[in-house]
Amino acid sequence: MNRLDPRVQLLWVASAAVSALVVGGVLFAVVAFLSPPFLPSWTPYAAAALVFLLGAATAVARYRSWGYEVREDSLYLERGVFTRVRTVVPFVRIQHVDSSRGPIERVVGLASTVVYTAGSRGADVSVPGLTADGADELRERLKRLAIRSEGDDAV
Amino acid sequence: MAARRLSPLSVPYRVLQRGGSIVAALAFMLATGGFSLPFAGLAGPLVLVGLASLAAAVFVGYEYAYFRRFAYELTADTFDIESGVFARRNREIPLRRIQNVDISRNVVQRAVGIAAVSFETAGGGDTEASLRFVSFEEAKRLQRELGRLKRGASADADGESSEPDARVLFELDRRELAILGALSFDFRVPGVLFVFFSGALTFVTSFLPEGLGPLLVVVGVFVLLLLGVLASWVAGAAVAVVNYYDFRLVRSADELQYQRGLLQRYDGSIPFDKVQTLTIADNPLKRWAGYATLLVETAGYAPGQGDSSRGSEAAVPVARRERIERLVEDIEPVGTPEFERPPKRTRRRYFGRYCIVIGAAAAALYGANAVFGQFLAWYAPLALLPVAAVAAHYKWKHRGYWLGENHVVTRNGVLKRETKVVPYYRIQTVIDTRTIFQRRLGLASVTVDTAGSLSIGGQDAAAVDIDAEDADALRGELESRLRIAVAAHRRGRVGMGVEDEVDVAESVESAEGGSGEGSMEDGDDADPFVWGETRDDATEDARRGDDGPPDDAGR
Repeated sequence: MNRLDPRVQLLWVASAAVSALVVGGVLFAVVAFLSPPFLPSWTPYAAAALVFLLGAATAVARYRSWGYEVREDSLYLERGVFTRVRTVVPFVRIQHVDSSRGPIERVVGLASTVVYTAGSRGADVSVPGLTADGADELRERLKRLAIRSEGDDAV
Repeated sequence: MAARRLSPLSVPYRVLQRGGSIVAALAFMLATGGFSLPFAGLAGPLVLVGLASLAAAVFVGYEYAYFRRFAYELTADTFDIESGVFARRNREIPLRRIQNVDISRNVVQRAVGIAAVSFETAGGGDTEASLRFVSFEEAKRLQRELGRLKRGASADADGESSEPDARVLFELDRRELAILGALSFDFRVPGVLFVFFSGALTFVTSFLPEGLGPLLVVVGVFVLLLLGVLASWVAGAAVAVVNYYDFRLVRSADELQYQRGLLQRYDGSIPFDKVQTLTIADNPLKRWAGYATLLVETAGYAPGQGDSSRGSEAAVPVARRERIERLVEDIEPVGTPEFERPPKRTRRRYFGRYCIVIGAAAAALYGANAVFGQFLAWYAPLALLPVAAVAAHYKWKHRGYWLGENHVVTRNGVLKRETKVVPYYRIQTVIDTRTIFQRRLGLASVTVDTAGSLSIGGQDAAAVDIDAEDADALRGELESRLRIAVAAHRRGRVGMGVEDEVDVAESVESAEGGSGEGSMEDGDDADPFVWGETRDDATEDARRGDDGPPDDAGR
């Protein structure tokens, strides 16, 4: 079972920080402008800290739960902290494969590989937290396997 | 085959269709204020008539040009359309990508003998190409011809003579139509009525004498509710009857054809090898009466459905259960499913879930009492506990999955029970989910994703709450059965359960010859024989044709 690059935790912790900032900011605005009596002035900070801590803990747990494997005939993914999800994508069903790098991913030097099938949950299958080369390599490998599985009639 | 044109009748029809509203507007102007155009004086009507004839001339000219420019041609492996008056467009649609060919005719079109033809491809509610309008015979010919070309029968040059042996699978008789109408409710009607009458309500109440007391209000509300239900029932029945009048399902060589409709007549085809999922749906009422509904799902979209993209319309709206089962057996030889139910501990889980709901209701009532004073017995919902126990049992009882020879069958739901038949060959991905609560009980849900259009609403076939170890096994099993099904398909089987058309032994040989010892490295430049071999029907189909939008269709 392959693990993700540990740096992906940074990415997820960073996104937890963003949501913490948003929650804190909204609460801060509420306290500052509306000052409802039931919200003490420290709530924004406490809420932001709580969101951040929970998010960071989830990020670490998520990293630990993530794994993928290129099997003989299929791609197998395992992930999820609260709900464990295991996905099997047979190579015969792969329509196309992307590797993508978002702006924040680029800062950390990471990339994802996204696998598309014709199924109604097609774009659900993506492997985040790969190095840029790793993502390209996985994409190439999956592409070759997908093409090969077409010609491979062995039962 | 030379390029063909639309029916000449399409010109006047389109002119009237598109120009009709403008003519009406002009006539209205003429009849009311038109006579006093400020600057034209007495010549006003003449000016208007002149304008109208100019507009009519423009319309006729445009439609005639459209007709002149429009040419289509069905070649051996593409459907070509050349069209456009100002912007010109040439399109070639590979036949393999076409899922359904649908013909629709409304009353007027039926009277003059023309029809609109739509070609559906996979990937959502977008019609790839449509012909407005050709003669009905031509439409049927296209439908037939396309099916024949896709079968690859064009090779045996006896062409036209090979009329597919059509066999009527199903006809909705009068009684079933009546039952369908009786069971149909259109609950959009009360909403419309409410909007319509909400203004009138205050008007009516102003006439009522003051102080009639709450009794009248209660009676009034009750009567209104009754009227609402009645109205939606009548509307639902009318819609159902209009939609499904004279419904029939015909099986030809390897296509399913349906016809339905009273005012607007639909006439569609579904190739068997595009069928993704079969769903048998029922509810307690239908179960009790021994009726069910069948939905045939493809990756395309259904005509005449507007925005509600509810999969394919080759649905049998209502029929006796045995008949539905025979029909399923006819389309996909499934066998008799023996469902494996989830372990009994799941009943506890459902009961717990209902208890939480009941508890929440009781708590809410208790809270309301505390705030507004005693007016409700907060413990009343607790009386529902026995009901919850029964409901939990039934929920468990109606769940299950079964692995057949060529299909996986799943069943879920009590009030809206759906039994889904998924050919192994149609599996796209297998997803195994386990929530915290499921893990505590050692349970898991396995979802079988297909390219069907119904599943977009999250109604995939799923074995819900099965034992975690069974789920692991099921996952592996489904994967390997897909592999076997794909291999079998390549050996010449058409679709899933359909009989072999090619001598299996012979094609196995050639398939094995073709597969080579392809290692992981030789990848995309595998030996040319493989490419030559795989680029024909079966595998191309497996890769893209039937399973959804091809890579370039824009994701």
